Amino acid sequence: MSAPVQVPGSFRTDGPDDWHRVHPVSPLVRGWVAVAAIIVVFGRTSLENGASYRSGSLEFNGAPVGVVAAVVSAAVVVFGVVFFLSWRFTRYQVTDDHVHVNSGVIFRQQRRARIDRVQAIDVVQPLVARAFGLAELRFDVADSGKSAMKLSFLKLDEAKRLRAAILARAAGVAADPAAPGVVAEAPERQVLALAPARILGATLLGPTTVVAVIVLAFCLALVAVTGEPATLVTLVPAIIGVGAGYWRSFTNDFNFRVALSADGVRLHYGMLETRAQTIPPGRVQAVGISQGLLWRACGWYRVHLNVAGLGDDRRDHESRTVLLPAGTLPEVMTVLALVFPDPGVANPLDVLAAGIRGKGGAQGFVHSPRRAFWLDPLAWRRNAYRATGTALLCRRGVLTRRLEVVPHERTQSLSLEQGPLMRALGLVDFALHSTRGPVTPVVRHMALPAGRALFDEQAARAATARRIHRPERWMTGAPGNGPAGNGPTGSGPTGSGPSKYLEEEHGR
Amino acid sequence: MPDTPARNTYPSPLNPEGVTFLPVSPRLVTARFIERGGWGLLFLLVTSVPLVLRATGVWPGYPAVLAWVLPAAVLLIVLWVLALVRRQVRAIGYAERDDDLLIRHGILFQRVLVVPYGRMQFVDVTVGPLERALGLSSLKLHTAAPGTEAMIHGLTTAEAARLRERLPALGEAKLAGL
Repeated sequence: MSAPVQVPGSFRTDGPDDWHRVHPVSPLVRGWVAVAAIIVVFGRTSLENGASYRSGSLEFNGAPVGVVAAVVSAAVVVFGVVFFLSWRFTRYQVTDDHVHVNSGVIFRQQRRARIDRVQAIDVVQPLVARAFGLAELRFDVADSGKSAMKLSFLKLDEAKRLRAAILARAAGVAADPAAPGVVAEAPERQVLALAPARILGATLLGPTTVVAVIVLAFCLALVAVTGEPATLVTLVPAIIGVGAGYWRSFTNDFNFRVALSADGVRLHYGMLETRAQTIPPGRVQAVGISQGLLWRACGWYRVHLNVAGLGDDRRDHESRTVLLPAGTLPEVMTVLALVFPDPGVANPLDVLAAGIRGKGGAQGFVHSPRRAFWLDPLAWRRNAYRATGTALLCRRGVLTRRLEVVPHERTQSLSLEQGPLMRALGLVDFALHSTRGPVTPVVRHMALPAGRALFDEQAARAATARRIHRPERWMTGAPGNGPAGNGPTGSGPTGSGPSKYLEEEHGR
Repeated sequence: MPDTPARNTYPSPLNPEGVTFLPVSPRLVTARFIERGGWGLLFLLVTSVPLVLRATGVWPGYPAVLAWVLPAAVLLIVLWVLALVRRQVRAIGYAERDDDLLIRHGILFQRVLVVPYGRMQFVDVTVGPLERALGLSSLKLHTAAPGTEAMIHGLTTAEAARLRERLPALGEAKLAGL
C-alpha cells in the first residue's frame, strides 16, 4: 500500500511503521467455498420448490419475494462485513530482520518470524486465485511453531518481489549502498522438467495401485467363495477413493520442474493449484531416495527431503517434501547435485548408484553380517552404510529400496538400539535422528563391533563437521560475492558442487 | 573414577569404550515401586472383582478357572515388573563428554543415545508430586529431531539443576544453528 515501489522487479524492505495489506479480494478467494455452498443449497431448494403465484403475489419456496430478497441481501451484507473486517485486520511488514503478520478480528494474532531462520518459501496459486492473478506466499521458519506463516493473497508480482526480498535478507546480502533495501529477484535456470507421461506412469505404478490390486483380488476371492457378487457393491467407495488418490497425485505433481537460482533450488509444480517452492541452500537436513516395487521396471526413483519446519504441517507435508516425484537415475543425480553439492567421494555416481540399487559390499558399503539372515532373510545384504567425507549414506529395503543421505553437520543425535533377538545374534540397530520429515535414516542389524564403531565415528564426524560448518546466512560466508549471488560459497547450489558430479559423468 | 557407588556399573555391549556412565538416584527405585505397585494393585483389584462376586455367591455362574487365572496372571506380571525395577534403574546412565551427552537405558531392549550439546534446542526439567516427595527430577533434552527422545528420569534435584544450567551453557558455546 504505502510501499514506494518504483522499479519493476525490485523491492524495498519496510521501516517499523510501514504496514501493507493483502489484496482486497483475498477473503473472497479464501472463503468462496462457503459462499458457493450457501448459494447452491439455497438455490437448489428454491428451484425444487419453484416459484409460484399464490393469493396474488409471487412466492419463492412458500415465502414472499420480499422475505427472500431480505435474506439474500442480509447474507451478502454479513459476508461482505466479515470479508471486509478480515481484510482490514490483516497487515504485514517485511523489515530487514523480521517478517510480521498481524491478523484476526476478534482473536488477534501477531506473528513474527526471523528472516535468517526461513527454511523454505512458497508461492502458491490455488485455482481461484489464479483466476484473479493472485498468489499466496507462505514460508516455514525453523522456530515458528507448527504451521507455516502465510500471506494470502497478494498479486503474483508482489508475492515474487516479497519472496526475493525475504530470500535476499535471509542470505545476508549486503544492501546496495546507493539504494538500501532494494534487491532484484535472482534469475533462475531450469535444470529439469518431467513430462506429463512420466507423472501419469509414476502415479499409476505407485503404491496406491499395489494396495488397490491386493484389495481387489481379496474381494474377488471373497465373491468366488461366497458366490454373492453383491458384495462388490461395497467396493464402490473404495474405487472412488482410489480414483481421487490418483487424481490428486497426478494433478499435484503435474508439470514438475526443478530450477536453480542464486536463492536456492526452486521447484514448480501443480496443475490446478500451482506452487513454486524455494529451498535456500543449506536448509536440507536429509535426502531420501526410494523406489517402489513397480517402479523398478521403469527405473524411476522418488527423492524426498527433510527441511526443518516443512514436515510440521501434516496437511501438505507429503507433497512439499518431494524434490523429485519420479526420476531416472541420471535425473536423481542431477537433483542430488543441487541439494548435496559436495558428495565427499571421488566417484559419487558409482557410490550413490551402489547405495540406491546395489547390494553387498560394493563401493565400500558395510552391510549386515550373514547371521542377520535370521531376522532379515531378504534384506540383510541391502542393510548397509557408507560414510563419505561429507555425509552418511544409509541403505535398506529390498521390495522398496531406500537410500538416505545425511550430511554430517546435519546430524541431530544418534542412537544404538538392541533387542533380545538381536543380542543373541550379536546385532545392533543404528539410528540417526534428523528433523521431522519423511526421511528417517536407520542402519538395521549391523554387526555389534561395526555398529559401535559407526556410533563413535559418526559422533566424532558430526562434531568436526559442525565446527567447520558454514553460517546460516549463506552469502556472508565468503567475501567478494555480489548481492545477486553469482557464486556463493562452494557449498551453495551454484558453487563448484554440480561439476563434481558432471566431471565424472564426462570421464566415464 | 574409582569403583565407588557413584558409578554406573551396568555392563552392556553397547556402551562406548572408555565412557563412565553416571547412575541416577537409587530413590528412583522407590518412586517406581510406588508408582508401578500402585497401578499393579489397581489392576489386581479390578481383575479380582469376579472372584469376589463368585465367592460371595452374587455371581455363581462365573467359571472358576477364569476367576482365578485372571488375577493370578496379573499378579505374576506385576511381580515381574516390580522385580525388574531395580535392574532397570541401575541400567539408566548418562555421561557428559566434551562434545555430547550420552544416555543409556534398558535391559532387554537397550538404547544408547548421543546428543551433541550444539544440537540441543532447550532443556525441560519436570517434577511430579511423587518425585518431589523423594527429591527427584526428570530431565528432557529437545533437539530439532523428534526421534531424539532424550529423557533422564530419577535425577536428584541438585543434579537436575546442575545439568539444566550446564547443558544450555555448553550448547551456547557449541551452537550450530540447525
